[in-house]
Amino acid sequence: MKKIKNDLTLSAVSTKNKNRMSVCFPSSRLLRLFQLMLIALVMAACSKDNDKPVANNISLHFNNTFKNSSIVLGEADSPTATANTSANGQVHHFSELKYVISNIRLVKIDGTEIPYHVNDLDKGATVVNQAKLSTLDYMLADVPVGEYKQIKFGFGIKQGLNTLDQFRFPIFYGIAEANDTEMMWQWATGYRFAKIEGFYESDQKKFTIHTGSTLNGKAGQPDTYVQGVDAYRDITLDLNTALVVGGNKPEITIKADFDKLFSGKNKITIDAKYATAPQQHEGMEVMVEYVNNMGGDGQEDRSGMFSIQKIEN
Amino acid sequence: MIKTISGILFTWLLLSSCSKEDNSVSNNNKNFEIPFFIPADFPALNHAVKSNKPTKYGVELGEKLFHEKRFSGNNTISCASCHNPSLAFSDGKMQAIGIDDRVGLRNTPPLQNLAFMKFYNWDGNILELEKQPLVPIITHEEMNSSILEVISKIRDDSDYKDLFKKAFGDSDITPDRIYKSLVQYEYTLVSANSKYDKVKRNEGDKFTDAEERGYMLFKQKCASCHATELFTDQSFRNIGFPLNKNIEEAGRARVTGVSGDYMAFRVPSLRNAAYTAPYGSFGQFPTLRSVLDYFDNGVLAADNLDPILQANGNRIPLSEQEKEDIISFIHTLSDSTFIRK
Repeated sequence: MKKIKNDLTLSAVSTKNKNRMSVCFPSSRLLRLFQLMLIALVMAACSKDNDKPVANNISLHFNNTFKNSSIVLGEADSPTATANTSANGQVHHFSELKYVISNIRLVKIDGTEIPYHVNDLDKGATVVNQAKLSTLDYMLADVPVGEYKQIKFGFGIKQGLNTLDQFRFPIFYGIAEANDTEMMWQWATGYRFAKIEGFYESDQKKFTIHTGSTLNGKAGQPDTYVQGVDAYRDITLDLNTALVVGGNKPEITIKADFDKLFSGKNKITIDAKYATAPQQHEGMEVMVEYVNNMGGDGQEDRSGMFSIQKIEN
Repeated sequence: MIKTISGILFTWLLLSSCSKEDNSVSNNNKNFEIPFFIPADFPALNHAVKSNKPTKYGVELGEKLFHEKRFSGNNTISCASCHNPSLAFSDGKMQAIGIDDRVGLRNTPPLQNLAFMKFYNWDGNILELEKQPLVPIITHEEMNSSILEVISKIRDDSDYKDLFKKAFGDSDITPDRIYKSLVQYEYTLVSANSKYDKVKRNEGDKFTDAEERGYMLFKQKCASCHATELFTDQSFRNIGFPLNKNIEEAGRARVTGVSGDYMAFRVPSLRNAAYTAPYGSFGQFPTLRSVLDYFDNGVLAADNLDPILQANGNRIPLSEQEKEDIISFIHTLSDSTFIRK
């Protein structure tokens, strides 16, 4: 638990201390220092006494499933990979499953929206990678105490931040660039929002589904032409049980049901044309169907494949 | 007293001579916008140019960066490696070759008259040239580096420090300054001094009979797409060329998400075309003649095949003589002063 108030007070004292030191005569310096140390000690003791944190951490856990079964990845003919059957009767499994979560906001019972580093990819965005256990948990640090009724987040990265700007966000850039992650579309100077690969039907044909935005130009500028596809989706999930941030560190389990990928609002048949060549993102109209199945259409459907599975206060 | 006065005088002289020297140095280093020549009848400048007007030192820095091999992960490839000035800034290869001989998706586009373009790259995904330099730097098949890696390599180079200072006022090397100066240099790559231009400007040059016949045929059979003084209307068309089987390729459709743009590419400028073989989005055609033969024989059918070709039975019928004549005309678009840059 982090006692922000306490930390802030102490640091204020120490800054003051530093400033004063320079103008004090040597003879009084020691006394002054002692005095300040005493104040700091008293304050620390005080705040220990009334143990009321102003903020605490929340853990977001992503459970990637086919319906209710958590997904196990596997290469072609893998006996351990989780197999799923689509609405159109195609058996398939994943060998790779990654997606970007960003723009996280929590809504308090009274409707106040608390943004979580929404304009800072280094602090507020993550790549969920089914092959890396640690990425299935994302910690939101120092969320203000209170009761929350809703969580909102972006599936992908909103336009404006989606520029592969290593200078601004070196940490997120590094994660996305890594050889085992490859969440970049260099040609579009944007991030991949989802990278899903796997095999389907008995002869284990490979399929590849990559999504991302290709928007370009600036809206509202007459000289600039806006072209491309917006693959970002804003997700809103109601919390059935209020999330209580206080002395505890609550955990929210978010289920992402990838059964919806082929069998959501759009029932998609994987065929050779879209499974091998070209990749799904080449037919952007097809890509949008996948994006809408996973992230909703951004209009009526604002949850797509995501739902709240569990809240542990 | 006299000693003091002479001392003051001496000091003053010393100071004034110093400051005179400083002034002259700073005058020499003063950056200024360079006059930008806009050839007659060229289309309007891209709107981005007004926010990044070429300056003396911006262009000088950009040209140096253009030839900087440390842009690539293993310090072997510069912009100029693929955009070779003597080939009108193309590379003579079917597809671009990056570090470790990695083969790129497409044919290297020649760089010319970029300040007048609305779209960049064969699929037009870039609308402002300043956004382009990052792409080859980070692309695995091209330079396979990153902008921070590039900066870390050139940061301590005193020539660069000096040039960044002259171009931008201080020696900070930032991504934006790299992009801007490179592009300032590229904006200056204007080609409008070919035989065609001289004939048009009545500078004494005359077309030969074959060139003249070719020009007439060109206006009749080619100019609906290769329009304007840039010799491209900058539209995107599927003209039924042999398909690139690379799974990454979809033409402009990968940008717009519209299936009507599947395998559509930007109409290439024909200026300096004689220098920029091979032709086609992935260098399908070794010669101008092979392109014309292909059009004559008939192109691949497609739902979104360009309407002009569809109306023409999926081909551009040309006699052998007509092909020769059109090629003669295309050669008049070669600007020998440009390729010496």
